[in-house]
Amino acid sequence: MSMQSLFLGLSDFWAKQGCYLAPTYDLEVGAGTMTPDTFFRVLGRKPWRVAYVQPSRRPTDGRYGENPHRVQKHFQFQVIIKPSPLNIQRIYLDSLVSLGINLAEHDLRFDEDDWESPTIGAWGVGWQVMLDGLEITQFTYFQQAGGLELFPVSVEITYGLERLEMFLEQKDNIYNLKWSDDVTYRHLRFREEKEFSIYNFEQADINMLQSSFAAAEKEAQRLISQQLLLPAYDFCLKCSHLFNLLDARKAISVTERVKMIGQIRILVNQIARLYVDQEGEN
Amino acid sequence: MEFLLEIMTEELPSSHVRGALVQLEERFSQEMNAAGLKPGSLKMLGTCRRLVLLADLGASQPDQEEIVTGPPRSAGLAPDGSFTKAASGFARSHGLDVDNLQLIKTARGEYLGFKRLKKGKSTPEILIEKLPAIIASLSFPKTMRWADKSFRFSRPVKSLLCLFNGEVVPVSFEGLVASNKTSGHFIHSPEVITVNNYQEYYQDLKNNFVLVDPAERKSRILDQFEEKLAGLKAEIYPDERLLERLLWNIECPLVIMGSFPDSYLTLPLEVLSTAMREGQELFSVVKGKKQLPCFLGIADAPSDPKNYIVTGNERVLKARLEDARFFWENDLRIGLPERVKQLSGVVFQEKLGSYADKVLRLQELVAYISERLGFRNLKKDLIEAARLSKADLLTEMVREFPGLQGKVGGLYAQRQGWPETVNRAIYEHYLPESWEDQLPDSTAGAILSIADKLDTMVGISGTGCTISGSSDPYGLRRSALGVARIILNKKFHLSIRRLIDKSVALLAKKLTLPEEQVKIACLGLMEGRLRFIFEKNGYSYDLINAALAPGLDYLDYVEARIKALSSLKSSKNFERFILMVKRVKNILKDTPKAKLDPARLVDKEEKELYSALKIIKKNAEKMMAEGDFAGAQKIIFRLQPPLNNFFDRVLVMAENKKIRNNRLALLAQVQSLIDQLADYSQIVLSSENS
Repeated sequence: MSMQSLFLGLSDFWAKQGCYLAPTYDLEVGAGTMTPDTFFRVLGRKPWRVAYVQPSRRPTDGRYGENPHRVQKHFQFQVIIKPSPLNIQRIYLDSLVSLGINLAEHDLRFDEDDWESPTIGAWGVGWQVMLDGLEITQFTYFQQAGGLELFPVSVEITYGLERLEMFLEQKDNIYNLKWSDDVTYRHLRFREEKEFSIYNFEQADINMLQSSFAAAEKEAQRLISQQLLLPAYDFCLKCSHLFNLLDARKAISVTERVKMIGQIRILVNQIARLYVDQEGEN
Repeated sequence: MEFLLEIMTEELPSSHVRGALVQLEERFSQEMNAAGLKPGSLKMLGTCRRLVLLADLGASQPDQEEIVTGPPRSAGLAPDGSFTKAASGFARSHGLDVDNLQLIKTARGEYLGFKRLKKGKSTPEILIEKLPAIIASLSFPKTMRWADKSFRFSRPVKSLLCLFNGEVVPVSFEGLVASNKTSGHFIHSPEVITVNNYQEYYQDLKNNFVLVDPAERKSRILDQFEEKLAGLKAEIYPDERLLERLLWNIECPLVIMGSFPDSYLTLPLEVLSTAMREGQELFSVVKGKKQLPCFLGIADAPSDPKNYIVTGNERVLKARLEDARFFWENDLRIGLPERVKQLSGVVFQEKLGSYADKVLRLQELVAYISERLGFRNLKKDLIEAARLSKADLLTEMVREFPGLQGKVGGLYAQRQGWPETVNRAIYEHYLPESWEDQLPDSTAGAILSIADKLDTMVGISGTGCTISGSSDPYGLRRSALGVARIILNKKFHLSIRRLIDKSVALLAKKLTLPEEQVKIACLGLMEGRLRFIFEKNGYSYDLINAALAPGLDYLDYVEARIKALSSLKSSKNFERFILMVKRVKNILKDTPKAKLDPARLVDKEEKELYSALKIIKKNAEKMMAEGDFAGAQKIIFRLQPPLNNFFDRVLVMAENKKIRNNRLALLAQVQSLIDQLADYSQIVLSSENS
């Protein structure tokens, strides 16, 4: 097994389930949920099936490459199906079997874990899937996004690829994972983790981040008034990442945190409402 | 006849399963009783994947007599008593001869009509009619929708099994139709199973790796715990809540035991057990009070043939412990006083300011309490403990494991060289966090905990936050309950009124409600929680009401009052005394207040009562001031003979108004003495019940 064969295996499995394989989105996001392929498509009534790999940046999780299992950028495999199929849990279990996991030899559990992202006004109900004590997947029935009640309901399945690969290779250290047969995770990512940890925690210019946040927020507002919703949403994503960097620099107090998240959410909620209105017209 | 219902779902949160089973039992027996089906031997079973109800039901409703009314008497009977056309028309429409009609009295007057026997519906008919609404009525703390359904439930419902007397009852519910089919363990035996009765259902599920009876799962778990621990002579670090949660989350319990490297044993037990419990749901294993380098877990599997479950959990735990050690070592590099400086940036509550503000108030409060209680020797350490108490909110450890707040602060203080009194006080100051939780053991811990909870209770109440039903976002009830339990447990003689006054004064300008209103709200909260404690301790409502009537201030006194009442309640004397007190109260009802003039006492018996009252009052009040309510009560009982004689021989309602008022004033003095002990008129006597 390798990270690469995991991407390929899951892509193949979900493509056979009728999912469109989306290219990775080209902006920094905190989770696969935030990309337009999820955010816009769970809104409204039209059915949707998509699967994609998305690098997810969480600056505060950086450990300078020194921690065997925490990184400031990790890879998610994201599946969205709308409406949620009635046998989706079984399909999900089949996806694990397709990776060569003999479930009868393990302890697999769906543990209560509801998900929420205040930044994009979204929440859902579901579980974290635990395999022999390791959380390998977040499994969520989306109830709301952009502040709107969702109907029909989409199911989101987010595999943590490094976690799953560590399970498959039975490794204790993320950097010892194989990316392909002859390239390791360390080879590809170690330097990146180290340098970005220094940048996120020590070097990121707080003034620059703050003014960029303000500029991106303003631009998003302007674009919303022009009804350019996809570009406006991109600027919300930029705000979210800038916020995460400021957080890693410990430059945000508790009250500011609530305020800034609220600012982004207001924009995202406007975008969602306008998007649903426009799609309804077509 | 046997009735079996199984609602299969995707994995429900374990707290939802318990709640749903309770509601299902209640609603089912309500509806069945209402339908006249008298359900017997109800049994609730289940796991996170199935809610199961087993009951005994009759074959059908009993037949019922039904009255059918037609025209009113005036329209149905002619003046000569013969039937009118209207009457014969009504009879004909029901296929009856007009002579079969009779006069029937109703609330609206007399009507012509007839009685007939209505056949009771069959049980399956009733089930088909009632079950969908019963299932739909189950409520959960949080619900969801799925697919393209607008129906809400805790998690998606997958199938229904419904059998009555071996036959399928085809109940329809949200697009599902009940059958006689279920399925085994979702991983180890997911095939469909067909069953005809509960015995088959239970046994086939067991054969397919599902123990549907929670009691059986629990005993299997406990047996396996014992088996695993026997060789080590060790035990589980007790965690009832975790056990309860896992009990419902698992259909096929398998206890596993794993180990971790000795090098992590440098971490304290609290940190180790938290790291094991959170996320991985493992139990830590201790010998004496020391952690052993191993853990127990409960898997949902029949066996672990390749040891994958154990090694997988070991690998994950090692990573978590590595993280915990990273936090522990990093946190210790920064002294607690350094962190205290940053507390001004951490909001306690929007209107009440930061934790830096709260800490200042706590310092004042602990100083006040230690002086009041005469623990002047603790004052300095307590002020220091209060100053450092919230510093751990800024540590990585508490950020990762919020449940360790306080405890980890105490441990860091210990490592950084603070006196033991300070460490213990910080460590214990969040206790108790629930009814099951321990109380602070050290005096300093108890005082700091009271101060912290009091400040929260007064502050939050004073910003206008009210609690309603299950909504209590700031844990006001928990705070009040904690304060009351600690005071009673430590036998602290502390005026709760003055304590609240002090806290209100410290919060002063931050409170948005008028001070008096805040004080009343807080006393109300305290009284409510005190009632709760007394109820939990088995005191009956009437005794609680009686003991609380003289007012709430020193909680130890309230407890002494109720203990005195309860210990005397069984005596024969008590009952006669109560009747007498009630008599006094009745006489005094609606009478104006008058001043007693001893010179105007005329009869021998009233003079005797007066002199007895003077002596008894003096002694009883002295005893009450010392908190000896049992003694005071016994003395007050001595009022009985003179009071008896008084009632027997003296006419209270004398014609002479002055004498009458004077006698009433004497009785009022008797009552005011008694009222200091309890409101005895609240007490329900067994003779009154019957």
